[in-house]
Amino acid sequence: MEHIIKQGMGIKEVQDKLRSADGYFVTNTARDLSQSDFKNRILLHTDLLAAKSRENAGFFSLEITGGASVHVDILRKQVDPFLKLKLLREKMPNTMFQTLCRGVNLFGYRPYPPNVIRMTVSEFAKYVDVWRVFDFMNHIPNMQAVFEEVQKAGKILEPSICFSTGPEHTDEFYVKKVDEILDVTGDEILLCIKNHGGLGTPKRIGDLVDAIKQKHPDLIIHYHGHNTDGNDIGRITAAVLNGATIVDAADHAFTGYYGPPPILSVIQTLKEYDQKAEGIDEKAIIETSEVLRHERDHYEYFESQFKGFAPTVQIHKLPGGAMGSSFEQAVKGEFLDKMPEILHEELPKVQIELGNWWSVTPGSQILWTTAVSNVQGEERYGNPSGDLKNLLLGKYGPFPFYKPADWIYEKVFGSDWQKILEEEGGVEAIEDMDIDKERQTLTERLGYGPTNQQLVTYLQHPNDAVDFFKFEEKFGHVYVLPPSIFLRRGGFKLGETLKFRDHNGKEHVIEIGPKQKSEEDEWNVYLNVDHEQRVFLFQEEAQQAGGVAPAEQLSKKEIAELAKNGDIRASFSGNVCEISVEEDQEVADGDRLIVLEAMKMQTPVTCELSGMVERIFVKVGQAVQPGDKLLSIITGEE
Amino acid sequence: MKKKILVANRGEIALRVIRAIQELGHTAVAIYETPDNEALHIRTADEAVWIGDGPRSDYLNIDKVIKAAKKSEAEAIHPGYGFLAENPDFAKACEDEGIIFIGPSSEVITNLGDKVIARKIMADADIPMVPGTQNLNAGDDGVQQAIEFGRKYGYPIMLKATAGGGGRGIRQIDDESQLREEIPIARAEAKAAFNNDNVYLEKVVLTPKHVEVQVIADKLGNTVHLGTRDCSIQRRNQKLVEIAPSMIEDQELLDSICNTAVKAAKAANYANAGTVEFLIDKDMNYYFMEINTRVQVEHTVTEMITGIDIVRTQIKLALGKNLAFSQDDVQLRGHAIEMRINAEDPRNNFMPEGGKNVSVYRSPGGYGVRLDGFVYQGYTIPEVYDSLLVKLTVFGFSWNETVDRLKRCLTNFVITGPKTTIPFYLNLVNDDDFKKGDFDTSYLDTHTHLFEYEDVKSEVNKLSKLIAEIHYKGENSYAI
Repeated sequence: MEHIIKQGMGIKEVQDKLRSADGYFVTNTARDLSQSDFKNRILLHTDLLAAKSRENAGFFSLEITGGASVHVDILRKQVDPFLKLKLLREKMPNTMFQTLCRGVNLFGYRPYPPNVIRMTVSEFAKYVDVWRVFDFMNHIPNMQAVFEEVQKAGKILEPSICFSTGPEHTDEFYVKKVDEILDVTGDEILLCIKNHGGLGTPKRIGDLVDAIKQKHPDLIIHYHGHNTDGNDIGRITAAVLNGATIVDAADHAFTGYYGPPPILSVIQTLKEYDQKAEGIDEKAIIETSEVLRHERDHYEYFESQFKGFAPTVQIHKLPGGAMGSSFEQAVKGEFLDKMPEILHEELPKVQIELGNWWSVTPGSQILWTTAVSNVQGEERYGNPSGDLKNLLLGKYGPFPFYKPADWIYEKVFGSDWQKILEEEGGVEAIEDMDIDKERQTLTERLGYGPTNQQLVTYLQHPNDAVDFFKFEEKFGHVYVLPPSIFLRRGGFKLGETLKFRDHNGKEHVIEIGPKQKSEEDEWNVYLNVDHEQRVFLFQEEAQQAGGVAPAEQLSKKEIAELAKNGDIRASFSGNVCEISVEEDQEVADGDRLIVLEAMKMQTPVTCELSGMVERIFVKVGQAVQPGDKLLSIITGEE
Repeated sequence: MKKKILVANRGEIALRVIRAIQELGHTAVAIYETPDNEALHIRTADEAVWIGDGPRSDYLNIDKVIKAAKKSEAEAIHPGYGFLAENPDFAKACEDEGIIFIGPSSEVITNLGDKVIARKIMADADIPMVPGTQNLNAGDDGVQQAIEFGRKYGYPIMLKATAGGGGRGIRQIDDESQLREEIPIARAEAKAAFNNDNVYLEKVVLTPKHVEVQVIADKLGNTVHLGTRDCSIQRRNQKLVEIAPSMIEDQELLDSICNTAVKAAKAANYANAGTVEFLIDKDMNYYFMEINTRVQVEHTVTEMITGIDIVRTQIKLALGKNLAFSQDDVQLRGHAIEMRINAEDPRNNFMPEGGKNVSVYRSPGGYGVRLDGFVYQGYTIPEVYDSLLVKLTVFGFSWNETVDRLKRCLTNFVITGPKTTIPFYLNLVNDDDFKKGDFDTSYLDTHTHLFEYEDVKSEVNKLSKLIAEIHYKGENSYAI
């Protein structure tokens, strides 16, 4: 079927095609589905299998990058986010690719300097046609730099208004936000209603679309929602009937609970209302799911620990993209039993207390971490994260409706919170970065000159990018491995034959041989690689995850006790992102010693006694486990 | 009658000779030094004798080799190339002990090994030669002789050790003052290397082609040639790529070179297989260089285009048979190219990669492909011997077909562990001048782009590392 919307069309042509069509268009949100229901682990291998039929399906766009996926690409899936787009483009020449960009936070969790934004957008714009941009505070200036770069690159700009519910979230408020966006961008845009939690009823969404259309009849609305409560098809239907032109949905073989609903169900429902899915080939949509169906088993490990829809999302408002990882953290952190309290009592309370803005990255992480720590800790707001502090200081932008109460400020910053707020509060202008210097640093770390795309990846997530590039040098282009190999749990069966085609298109066959312990306590793993026997040596201790010696088994309480005596240890697993002191430095109670980063959140480790830093055991970028020594402090008493 | 023949060599040539011995129905005896005690030639031979710890010294020890022959009751010895192959004392020792030396007589080796005597024999037979001197007289007198030669023929000139060979003991002299300086140094070096401090001079033929003729003669004096080989592609006077026949289009010239080679062999009373080497200058003048009195590394290309098994013929002649074919029976067909696949890093001045383990070895095959190798999966490259892993020889009906086949073979060759000359050769077979057959001894110096390539690590080796890790740990640490 001839594509109505084609990759390479400019915004004006796209707007004309959309406006002149009678029906509505569909975006396949493969990335959001992967993030919401499979912890972002759907491999490029699987997307490549689906590429041909997805190309034939005639979507408005395929959302295949952005959000947390860029980070997970290099951190877990071990695939270059640019190479991924390039390979998909080869198989999908006509379909527009769509990204989700977190405004100044790009594809990371903190604001980037203007020149980094410029470079990142221009590199990704080589592959990405539609740029959905949002800010969790709906603070337009936080998105402006990206708006400008996308328009400069001649790509389709799709600013978002994040949607939520509550007395403040009126049509009037949102229409005013749309006005603010149009003031900045002009009318050569598409507008996204970003309902990342799948909040509100069909009626609520229908009313909102109608209100915006009343004010801006020519504005093209792209509705994005999640099916967390099982009712997004209702909201999509209401959106289309009230004038939305594009809607988001996903391949049914992979739909779960927290991602977008099945494309085919959306089409079938809207047919009853005489609404036609423009350009869509239903056969190709069915074919895609027939291909994907066989792959789903391999991803079972990454599906949510809790099965079933979660209509309680209307209470806790967690975005679909954070649902799976929340349950995962609850299991890993052994607080699954506290989830009802966290989700249904504490989280809604924290939402209201902190301003009832939009629960989406990075705001959703702030709400979630705060709620978890409020329930787990001794007192509410007693252990504030660095990001909560930044939020309260207004570093992410002004509170849209109201400021949190004074007692929260006092709890977080202490009695002189007003002084701190006065001195440190407000959005900070971020200076350009010395990119040449960064390139130099990366060159030194890699041992060769990086490409611009490597540099961009590095600028988003420096340590993880370097680890990935080194991984690729050692292990090659592992995206060629199917999920049955890459995600295999429990090892392979003796005599099992693995077949795959490498990056250069060459077929290979690997037969699994025995693993035996040698007299020197080394493990020999035998493989028949392309009919040649190979032996791989492993040292016994390397069996610990990541080759790190096991951390001492200390309870949280024991770690806290040790800290009071100057033996500062990590209380959770994360990365050291800042060391705030030096050896031999005098420190006092309350001083910041180290900042750890985990689950996208930065948490300072503060000093609980006065003394001198004796020794620092860790380096910036190092991964630590609970109980690992960070530094030691000696007091004058000894 | 079944005979026992000892192979006084190692590496691929030992295997090559063992194969011919076994094909003739004789018994092959290998010798080895300790570092070679796992080597392939021992496994392939019918018997093997350990001759010492070496390295190299025992393969070069005439007494030990003769002792091994006697111990194993071998009636003949094939010396291969290198080691004792062109040592007249070894041939003499065999003769004295009543062991058949598979090669020319010790007298012929002595005469042809002494470059000055060789030049005299060739001059008497009217063989064209690069102008040169006799052995220089000792002391100042010799220096004076040299200076006069330089003034007459101009610089550059070559200062050569009389007992040198195989590219060793040669130095280029660019002016008179350098000549004065270098003569004593060259003498001292020749004394140390060859136990003979005689040196002589030759005019330099600039950027010549190196063309040689395979000759073969029986004791009755029947002497035939097996056509030409071009060995111009060399590094530091060591051959890398050899081609048969020469790509020179002037057939009359090539015929004339071949006939001259036969004439030269006859003049030297040559018996058995040998190689007459010539230089050809820009104006297509050719000059006799030397006769190598052994089987050459590159004999394979001649075998491919003539169909004649040179080593088999060598053995039969040495055991008393006469040549079973005449010059008219020798027909040249098609083209053959040999590449020496060495464990070396071409980009690092061909630094040998000794000590490394060959973890994967997969060789190409198919029509027109011949491999003479010594390497196998799991082979550790000895640091004490040369770096030749395998000779890849391809044959084709036309030159283009041969180059295409060579390229295919190089692409399909997988050797993991050491760096090899393969990526360099891949650049070479893609080079326009090579494809046209246009090269001389300056080829490597004038085609420096051949050294520009990336070391490609096998993708499947990297991937299998991860698969082994998943298998070992029970999961992929990136999939948790």
